[in-house]
Amino acid sequence: MFKIYTRLIFYKDLFLVFIWREFSIRYKQSIIGILWAALQPLSMMLLFTFIFTYIMPIKITKYSYVLFFYAGLLPWSFFSSSLNYAIPSLTNHYNLVTKIYFPREILPLSGVAVAFIDFLLACGVYILLLIMFKAKISWNILWFMPLFALLLVFTAGVAMVLAALNVYYRDVRLASSFLIQLWFFASPVIYSIERVSLKLKMILFINPLTFIIENMRRCVIEGRGVVLWQFLFMSVLVMLFFSLSYKLFLNTEKKFADVI
Amino acid sequence: MIVLERVWKKYYRHQVFHRSLREDIVNLFKRKQKQELKKNEFWALKGISFEIKKGECVGLYGPNGAGKSTILKLIAKVTYPTKGIINVNGRVAPLIEIGAGFHLDLTGRENIYINGAILGMRIKEIKRKIPQIVEFSELGEFIDMPVKKYSSGMYLRLGFAVAIHSEADIFLIDEILAVGDEAFQEKCLEKIKKLKKQGKTLLFVTHNRELMKKIADRVIFLKKGEIVKIFS
Repeated sequence: MFKIYTRLIFYKDLFLVFIWREFSIRYKQSIIGILWAALQPLSMMLLFTFIFTYIMPIKITKYSYVLFFYAGLLPWSFFSSSLNYAIPSLTNHYNLVTKIYFPREILPLSGVAVAFIDFLLACGVYILLLIMFKAKISWNILWFMPLFALLLVFTAGVAMVLAALNVYYRDVRLASSFLIQLWFFASPVIYSIERVSLKLKMILFINPLTFIIENMRRCVIEGRGVVLWQFLFMSVLVMLFFSLSYKLFLNTEKKFADVI
Repeated sequence: MIVLERVWKKYYRHQVFHRSLREDIVNLFKRKQKQELKKNEFWALKGISFEIKKGECVGLYGPNGAGKSTILKLIAKVTYPTKGIINVNGRVAPLIEIGAGFHLDLTGRENIYINGAILGMRIKEIKRKIPQIVEFSELGEFIDMPVKKYSSGMYLRLGFAVAIHSEADIFLIDEILAVGDEAFQEKCLEKIKKLKKQGKTLLFVTHNRELMKKIADRVIFLKKGEIVKIFS
């Protein structure tokens, strides 16, 4: 954590410029521009609501389906779009990587940052939905922030590892859409782990997103708090994962220009 | 300022990287493999040593494949030596292939920010220098047009203008004096001489002997990854 700070502080202007660049490239020559960011989780939510109300009417939760799905899709879209930007980020900037030195983590991390901007916009829609569907908000909603911080660190770790591996083995990129799809169903976006047996829960909790997404939903629409020890335990795990991924990134970084 | 000590650099001849995972894992346990050449590997640099002092202007000269660009890359820290030590003090601005960071959909002005930041300039610094950069590039009102609509000359001029305005201590210049028309080339040369007067360290590669004689204090002649001769 400390290391990444000392490496990036000198290059913070470059980091900002890269975020701005990614952001403006994406919405150049598009009519509705940034609204696309809100459209993705919104349309997915509508689709799932439609499916589970009319096509397969299953009782998933006692809360409004609109809120339930959106609450899960919001963190999920942040995670998946971060990976979509970050994985090809190093190979796409072949020109830069082979010519100029700068801390390479700036490239995948600016992908995560752009996904974060999208996330903020999608949060605005979330607030509107919460008001429209008259969700009962309690102070536990404050848990949303620390849980998101956890998600951010975890996403950054995954993004760096996959982006670095993609430099060596392009298979990563080919596998990524399929991997993200698998991961989607392994995370409690369209279901809740509430009524799952303990044994199954254990298996699902191997995926850190299970804890994060489930609790991000609970603290907002159900007004429930997070069990503190679980949160601390998860934080330690995520930090550990992040520092390992960063180490791997730094170790492989030196050869990027030769291998890419 | 810049010190290279017995630097060796190995490259793979393959265009595509394909080692297997298994091989990678085996290599983890074999530390000594760095010394020997395997199939399809070659030494791009074979024990290069030299020293460049602050304010010196040094030219690298030699046929294709002599290792000139590899040396620039090593000094820019884009790649690392297989063996040997490299010490570089000061901020490096690699003018290796101008306009590497340009994005075609963005305007010239936007690209100045991107390229400037890549070269290690602060946003404030870029803002301050934009009028100078635009003036130097002679792009005028075209600066707010997307770069994809530029002619190749305009593209190179803008790239060179940004690079030359960075506040680095060491400039690495690779074959870029073939930029634009004659008048603009003359202007670049003037600018380079000015940088030299300001006490910047310059290291450049060119095939143009005349030019080399004009500006270099020293010329290092390379052939097949070895130093053949140093003229001063």
